[in-house]
Amino acid sequence: MRERILLLCIFCFCICVFTHAQYPGFTLLANDAAFRQQFSEISQKTISIQSDFTQEKDLSMLSEKIVSKGKFWFKKDNRVRMEYSQPFQYLMVLNNGSIYIKDDQKENKVSAKSNPLFRQINKIMVDCMQGSALSNPDFSQRIFEGKSSFLIELTPTAKNLKSFFEHINIIVDKKDFSATEIKMYESGGDNTIIRFTNKQLNTAIPDALFIIH
Amino acid sequence: MRYLLFISFLFLVIACSSVYKKMQKTTGDASCIRKFKPLLGSALYKTNVDVVGKHLTGLVLIKSMPDSSERIVFSNEFGIKFFDFEFSNDSGFKVIYIIEQMNKKAVIKTLRKDFELVLMHNTSTSDAYLLKNGKSIYYAFPQESGVNYYITDSTCGHLVGMERSSKSKPVVEAIMENYKDGIPDTIGIEHKNFNFTIGLKRIENAGR
Repeated sequence: MRERILLLCIFCFCICVFTHAQYPGFTLLANDAAFRQQFSEISQKTISIQSDFTQEKDLSMLSEKIVSKGKFWFKKDNRVRMEYSQPFQYLMVLNNGSIYIKDDQKENKVSAKSNPLFRQINKIMVDCMQGSALSNPDFSQRIFEGKSSFLIELTPTAKNLKSFFEHINIIVDKKDFSATEIKMYESGGDNTIIRFTNKQLNTAIPDALFIIH
Repeated sequence: MRYLLFISFLFLVIACSSVYKKMQKTTGDASCIRKFKPLLGSALYKTNVDVVGKHLTGLVLIKSMPDSSERIVFSNEFGIKFFDFEFSNDSGFKVIYIIEQMNKKAVIKTLRKDFELVLMHNTSTSDAYLLKNGKSIYYAFPQESGVNYYITDSTCGHLVGMERSSKSKPVVEAIMENYKDGIPDTIGIEHKNFNFTIGLKRIENAGR
């Protein structure tokens, strides 16, 4: 009997350690209904976001990091512009299902429908910004709470997404519920983090930025 | 009509005859091309791929690992990885990762052979031979199928180009140019049988 209690204690201890160690500084929200409601209300009021971003791809097995930088714009509904300035100029505009890409050699206009990978990236970006990530049926969600932010863990349920990502974490600022960080974990151990800085919410952003010619 | 058939046949024979057979065998040190083998350490390249009408862009990282193997990782601008290949000990090859859409035997084989040509793998001098074509020297290294050629000027001082060939003609032409500290600034691979080109331009000061 004493052995069983001891085993139970060890088991509980392991669970505690595991849940705490998964994301240091964050604890799992057992009841996330309040968060979901608040998040949805506030993000509905977010009409536009303008910010700088730094993207860091960590190739863990190669001990290498690839850093890209640029500017980010989001405007409701479904419009995203990402302008990379480092390591080279690259522009991507998402506008209601159409994608426009421009590098120094070519301009490309693709329909997101014809390209499943871009469609998923498009949806993830818009979902993260628009707050609809919590209702995307392609992912199961868990919410963790930290001191100054929440962590939304999205685990893909759809097969095509599973082949790319183990999960995607969005760090949301407690102050304004806006995304400060998106971290995409690949199944092979590599990951990509996009950090948003100098954020400006609900400023006037010209529609012209999202026009796809 | 008979003449027409004869002329057509003659053209066919000429078209099929090997471009390499016209070259003269010559002697020299095949190992001299080793100095053009890229000393990559770790190099990041902006990459453009055109394949049957589709234009793909992204970043290629080529890295020499401590165990002397070489890794080639291609990902797009958002960090989504297309493939990660390991090349080791002259003919060793391993797919560490490849996205489902590209995971086809023919695609992997083509990419493997293209990069082996550029990384100068399978260049054992034991069965190598040299051909002379005008002022150029063709250093020929027979492969499992076909031959890899490294083309230099008459003194082996400059790498003019590379070719992967079938029995009779080149199927892939490639260049490596503007070496800086042993690392080429530009790498280009062009397939002759179908519309497939890979262009790599080195990014320095990539903030890594």
